[in-house]
Amino acid sequence: MKTLHEQITDVIAEEPVALFMKGTPQMVMCGNSLRALQALHGAGAPITTVDILPDPRIRQELSAISGWPTIPQVFVKGELIGGADITEELYASGELQAKLDEALGSEHSQEVKVVTLELG
Amino acid sequence: MEAEAIRALLAGAFPDAAEVDVVDRTGGGDHFQVTVTSPAFDGLSLIDQHRLVNDALAEPLRDGSIHELRIKTKGTA
Repeated sequence: MKTLHEQITDVIAEEPVALFMKGTPQMVMCGNSLRALQALHGAGAPITTVDILPDPRIRQELSAISGWPTIPQVFVKGELIGGADITEELYASGELQAKLDEALGSEHSQEVKVVTLELG
Repeated sequence: MEAEAIRALLAGAFPDAAEVDVVDRTGGGDHFQVTVTSPAFDGLSLIDQHRLVNDALAEPLRDGSIHELRIKTKGTA
């Protein structure tokens, strides 16, 4: 089995848009995670979510990798975009949509999926 | 944690700030909205601007004194 660190870096590297959040799109457990999710959804992004709540090690590993202390965290094509505030601001200004088109092409999918990390 | 303590940390990190505002969103001392306007942000991307604020508040973020943080940054240029 891959380590938690490897699983997280895999998600960041391989998913077009990764959202590390509290809860899932079906059951969001935090207002800021909801704001980030809604901004991404509004921008028409494909969204791959990872719930950080099942184990505190997920958040520790993630923040060690990203250098970003808070949740949620949004990555586009492996690059940290920011948390809820930045994602909302970029959505409101239209920059998020432009970034998605540039990174993923204008015909990208809008699929939402959930990745569950395996905890050792 | 008092909003004033956060304001002091931010004022120390951004001595040239034109504005440092901290709102305790819930009154519970752990959900904060901070607004900083500073020339330190001029020319920086939003994510780098927010990184500076996160760095200034690294200790209360790490020890859990701040449970939720909303950030609004503005340059002065």
